[in-house]
Amino acid sequence: MREKRLQLIVTFRTTADAMAMEQACRERKAPGRLIPVPRAISAGCGLAWCAGPDCREVLKGVMQSIGIQEEDMCECMV
Amino acid sequence: MEKKVVDARGLACPLPVVNAKKAVGEFKEDGVLAVLVDNEIAVQNLKKFAAQKGLAAAGEKKGEKEYEVTIQVAVNGDPASALAEEAGEEEIACRTDSRKKGLAVVLSANVMGGGEEKLGKALMKAFIFALTRQDVLPETILCYNSGAYLTCEGSDSLDDFKELEADGVNIMTCGTCLDFYGIKEKLAVGTVTNMYDIVETMEQAGAVIRP
Repeated sequence: MREKRLQLIVTFRTTADAMAMEQACRERKAPGRLIPVPRAISAGCGLAWCAGPDCREVLKGVMQSIGIQEEDMCECMV
Repeated sequence: MEKKVVDARGLACPLPVVNAKKAVGEFKEDGVLAVLVDNEIAVQNLKKFAAQKGLAAAGEKKGEKEYEVTIQVAVNGDPASALAEEAGEEEIACRTDSRKKGLAVVLSANVMGGGEEKLGKALMKAFIFALTRQDVLPETILCYNSGAYLTCEGSDSLDDFKELEADGVNIMTCGTCLDFYGIKEKLAVGTVTNMYDIVETMEQAGAVIRP
């Protein structure tokens, strides 16, 4: 199993928002990747954006630019 | 130039690394150490060991269960390497084999499930990522039809597949499919397989997971 590292996790209210985030980050070459929401954050299903802990401001900027808002933003071992 | 060969085939972790370490210590001048092992995980462990010693290493698959790791031994390594070695000395740890024998994952498309393609692609990416996070890994991953795209350049899952391959998972992609989609040259992880291997792998699998 892959070594776990501390990551910034952004969750969204809808799957569509998570997918819009992926597209926006890709277009803007913003860091991160789409992953299933880690179990440590939620027992439910869903997709989340995962990036380095230092990417908080960059990601906030991306979300602002496409008019979506995160449900939560937190750090956890992924 | 000194040359040594260590045959570590059939030895369980950490013996291949232990024997390689001993052999490296016996070099009186710069040279090449070839370590023969029988699995991909041992190759990864030996490369990790060499990196910790600041030595260049390369692995080559010679046969079905035969790999050769070549380590360029420098007797008088630079001080930075010596320090790195000292720091990492206690941390030489083996990757353990977490594969479940007879467990096969079949990726028959580049999407997971039916329905909206965009969602299906996102789900497949999430599935492959989640696979890397499991305590138990499959022995084999078979990719065919549009699933062949997943192991080719441009796939968002390449890093995940490479990680799984480093853990010893056998990743096989259908050659007919690569050819049909014109992506034969773009295969970036694992090996090309044929229908006989695909059938045999499925027949011999104790369980097949098909997302």
